[in-house]
Amino acid sequence: MFYEVFQALALDVKLVALVVVALVIGLAAGYGLAASIGGVGGAVTVTVTPEKKVYSIGLTLPLSGELSSIGKIWEKVVQLAIEDLNNEASAYGFKVEFRSVILDDGTVEEKALQNVQSFAQQGIKVVIGPAASAQVKVVKSYADSNKILIISPSSTAPTLAIPNDFVFRTVGSDAGQARALATLAYYEGARKVVIFHRNDEYGNAFADFFKDYFEDMGGSSSRLAYQTGLSDYASEVATLASRVQTEGADGVILIAFDTDGANILSHAAESDVLSRIRWFISEGPHGAEELLSPTVGQFASKVKLYGTRPLFIANPLYADFKERLVSRFGLEPGVFSENLYDAIKLAGWAILRAGTYDGEAIRSALVVVAKTYYGPSGWTAFDGAGDKAQQDYGIWAIVPGGPKGYQFKDVGLYERNTIIFTEETYK
Amino acid sequence: MINFVQYSFFYLILALPLTLSYRTTKVINFAHANFVTYGAYIAVFLHGIRGSNSMALAAALAFLIVGGIAVLNNIAVFTPLQRRGSSPAILMISSMGLWIAYKYVLYMLTDVAHFFTSKNFVSYGRITYSDVPRMSMAGFDFSQAFVAGMISSALVLVALYLTLEKTKVGRAMRAVADNPTLAGISGIPRGLIINLTWFICGGIVAVGGVIWTSFSGAITPEAGDSMILQIFTVGFIGGLVSLFRTSVGAVLIAGIENIGIAFLNAYFSVPISFKPFLTFATLITTLILFPPLGAGGGLPYRFLRRGARQ
Repeated sequence: MFYEVFQALALDVKLVALVVVALVIGLAAGYGLAASIGGVGGAVTVTVTPEKKVYSIGLTLPLSGELSSIGKIWEKVVQLAIEDLNNEASAYGFKVEFRSVILDDGTVEEKALQNVQSFAQQGIKVVIGPAASAQVKVVKSYADSNKILIISPSSTAPTLAIPNDFVFRTVGSDAGQARALATLAYYEGARKVVIFHRNDEYGNAFADFFKDYFEDMGGSSSRLAYQTGLSDYASEVATLASRVQTEGADGVILIAFDTDGANILSHAAESDVLSRIRWFISEGPHGAEELLSPTVGQFASKVKLYGTRPLFIANPLYADFKERLVSRFGLEPGVFSENLYDAIKLAGWAILRAGTYDGEAIRSALVVVAKTYYGPSGWTAFDGAGDKAQQDYGIWAIVPGGPKGYQFKDVGLYERNTIIFTEETYK
Repeated sequence: MINFVQYSFFYLILALPLTLSYRTTKVINFAHANFVTYGAYIAVFLHGIRGSNSMALAAALAFLIVGGIAVLNNIAVFTPLQRRGSSPAILMISSMGLWIAYKYVLYMLTDVAHFFTSKNFVSYGRITYSDVPRMSMAGFDFSQAFVAGMISSALVLVALYLTLEKTKVGRAMRAVADNPTLAGISGIPRGLIINLTWFICGGIVAVGGVIWTSFSGAITPEAGDSMILQIFTVGFIGGLVSLFRTSVGAVLIAGIENIGIAFLNAYFSVPISFKPFLTFATLITTLILFPPLGAGGGLPYRFLRRGARQ
């Protein structure tokens, strides 16, 4: 009996000793690591050396969920942008270091808000993202009341173009892109289309603007909204086919994100009705690897699929950015990658110009910095609502080629209500 | 119509094991969603990393691995909790914990796979398999997913019927489901039977996940999560007890989602975005009308009992 108790105690003592030793080693290692990087904890302005300050930039990115394909590319873009920012700041003689604090928001509104609140608790005043307009809408009031600067690289809903708030967007609103897409569809001969769109802030606003522009041009359209976040859209696509047949439509306008867009196109490829008409797509699914599957690639050729996306197509800085992303990470820049890159650079320079890590001061500085900044996304000056004032649009297609069998290709541009194809795509 | 039949196959394969596992183990298992996703991702990893286009290989591996995971869940989590006298609610909550943990483990695995291959596994395109034919009949073209779903659901139905009705193991499973204590006293190795049930259930669902990769255009680590509403609705229609009623539920929910919403949209202009609402309404109606799985024992059930006491 005593022996058993002794054995049990001995085991416990050994366990406790092991835990204590592990804790001591852990503490020592942690302290050493913290000392080597210049501080402990999530403080925003930390002295690395007596002269060097660390500024944290929060990023709420869609690393999972409906924009996850793009999110994975963006993670690398952040790395590139932060490195460039630090190198440039150092070259200009600033004794500072910028660090990214990345949180996944799952392309979900509530998670984006939680992330921004988490950044606020860490004292972070500048947040890049969230990506989707519905998410920006949810974080907006919290950001405004806590004076946290939100710079979204991809939110495009015109309904969020609100002056004097703390939300900035390094991309033009969809009021412009809807016109580009409507012009493209009309130019390509579509006269009666079904607008198949996400039932959210982005999809609804885009569909509204598209409908107005397309009908002004003389076309006619009807809307079919689908619920977002579903596991599959087969039945929605079947209803779309039925609608196209009933109305005798000659085109579909798809306003989607990555995963829903890929899913819808995969099912549309199985439909005879939907394979006989033209398809035009918003910028959302551009860059998503799922669209490069043989099913979607062949469908794209069959229906001569074209999409629009915010892009300054003849920008040498974009070409350089693309080349660096490909050579460094083996990744093609998906949609809004260049807008994200510029958002991070602008945030960094605005912090430096403000001279103080304060939301209001950085906001004022951001507007000034953006006026004189020119990056891969072009000239970044903001309009009165905090959106990119000058936004150009490119036309993209899915063509055979590349390591995956199909690839995205920028094949034209939209300029002053005119579509210009720079190369022949579908023969 | 083809979608309706296709979804009936899916819901049969995915929901029958939920009912079977609950009635044998008494665990309302939310990690069921992981079984679907892990099955799908075994196929995705085989395709993306190894370049395999064989659905048979993916299905066999998925059955074994996910079946093993289901057994592991039981041995490591459910059985110890049951031994400590945990209530069904605690078991259900623990399964939710597993659900979340497994989901993020999968996200980590996709990141690791991405690191080594530079391919995006967080959202993966449809897989075209080399060992499943497409079929054409009476002017209809049937996809690989349809053929695989039809064969698999037929196999599952026949195998479950034969196992449960004609074999000693099946009789033991039914005995454990009906009265676990009595089954134990009668010499049935209860633990072994429960582990076997988990293995079969996890395996079948994983095969459903593999077939899903030939159907969906975008496979994500949340694939199973976004199907959980439908799977549980189908299971609840079967009262999580009756395999026959679960099968009816599979056909009913597939019908509501594919024919019902199309009908309502065409004739009453009901937006198609109402589809999840219809499924949810069916779930709530089922819970209310069919005690004891209904809310708080089922509302009519409670009223009836109160009336009887008065």
